[in-house]
Amino acid sequence: MNKGTVPIIARLHSLQAPVRVMSGGARVIAEAGDRNPVAHLLREANETMLARSLEFRSSAGPSLTLDVAGRRVLRLTACHGLPGAEACLGVEVLEDEHKDDLIKLLQAVAAPRQELRVVTGPVSREGSEVSVGLPVALLADLMLIDLNVTGPDNVPEEAEEYFEPKETPAVRLSGAGIEDFAAAIGSPLIAWLVRRSDGEATSDGPEDMVSHLQAFLEDESEAVVRQLDLVSAAPGDPACLMLGVTLIDGHGILCARLEDSLLLGVVAGDGTQTVLTAWRSLMA
Amino acid sequence: MSVAESLGAVVKAFPQAKLVAFADLSARMILTSAGPMMMTQEHLDRLCDQARSSFDDPMFSLCVGAFGEPNAAMLLGPANLRLFLRSEVEPADALCCICDPGIDLAAFVTKIRETLESITHDG
Repeated sequence: MNKGTVPIIARLHSLQAPVRVMSGGARVIAEAGDRNPVAHLLREANETMLARSLEFRSSAGPSLTLDVAGRRVLRLTACHGLPGAEACLGVEVLEDEHKDDLIKLLQAVAAPRQELRVVTGPVSREGSEVSVGLPVALLADLMLIDLNVTGPDNVPEEAEEYFEPKETPAVRLSGAGIEDFAAAIGSPLIAWLVRRSDGEATSDGPEDMVSHLQAFLEDESEAVVRQLDLVSAAPGDPACLMLGVTLIDGHGILCARLEDSLLLGVVAGDGTQTVLTAWRSLMA
Repeated sequence: MSVAESLGAVVKAFPQAKLVAFADLSARMILTSAGPMMMTQEHLDRLCDQARSSFDDPMFSLCVGAFGEPNAAMLLGPANLRLFLRSEVEPADALCCICDPGIDLAAFVTKIRETLESITHDG
């Protein structure tokens, strides 16, 4: 096990977090009592967007290793203790004709009443095959497995909208500018400065506060934009970041970006809810 | 109460909380989470990275210089709200939350602050 992993595992145990990690970095994804271990295997493959290698090990001995990416199984790179792997092993990219053989292998390695573990590693071959391979959803359909972990009464919400950049602008801006955002916050926004990419600036509030904000932006505007890019789904997206000791009392620093405008301001702590409301109005 | 139970209690008390996750910012890792939002490992990694970036320079230094070290961050995007809280005792411990924008912020921040300090103290 990686030396850096040890304190993390110790912490997980201390927190009684529901995760089991074995020597060698293997993670238990199905206990011996699990009724449908192959479902856990497919869910593990299905949550992998980036290219990865997943080695599945059964406590009974057999193992197989898959390259997966973009919710697809790209190839079978290794198989031990399982008969019938020849048709899939060595194939550059798995195709429809391989699905039946692959399903038999998956069911064999994820046999009922055996603990199943997974070890994650870098993909064996880099390539642009993300658009091919066998979709995990197709394999799940063929095996009558529901990839969702919760029941129909508790439909999970998709997280994509929070993290994935959109190809087309998804932002429905109200048509208001960032100064309107400042005006909508009102008195809790004690001092603020708006700077556009053409250098034009507007401001309001006590002069000493505004001049401090101005000096900061003169030195750090590019770094501020980089920071906002890091916390946005896509570079240039509208973003608003507020930092404070507590956020609900005292004061906080507000930074917002809308198109080519950057706002920097000081907010009274009890104004956080007002900032949220004003931002929602801006995006409506 | 285990950390999973603590996070589950927050989600139960605040239905507008779609995800509450406990992270070790120094290890860049979400250790456990609760909530109805379906998250892949990549999403959890991204959320943890966003928390780290929120508590980073240049905004971090500006806040330190003006009011003291920030232990709370609110991040608003086109259609969502994320809240990040660092422990005052152990700043690597953090809660990362995704919420509906209609949530009562003051009540929610108070609750997750209590939860975070309790987890840090017990864990």
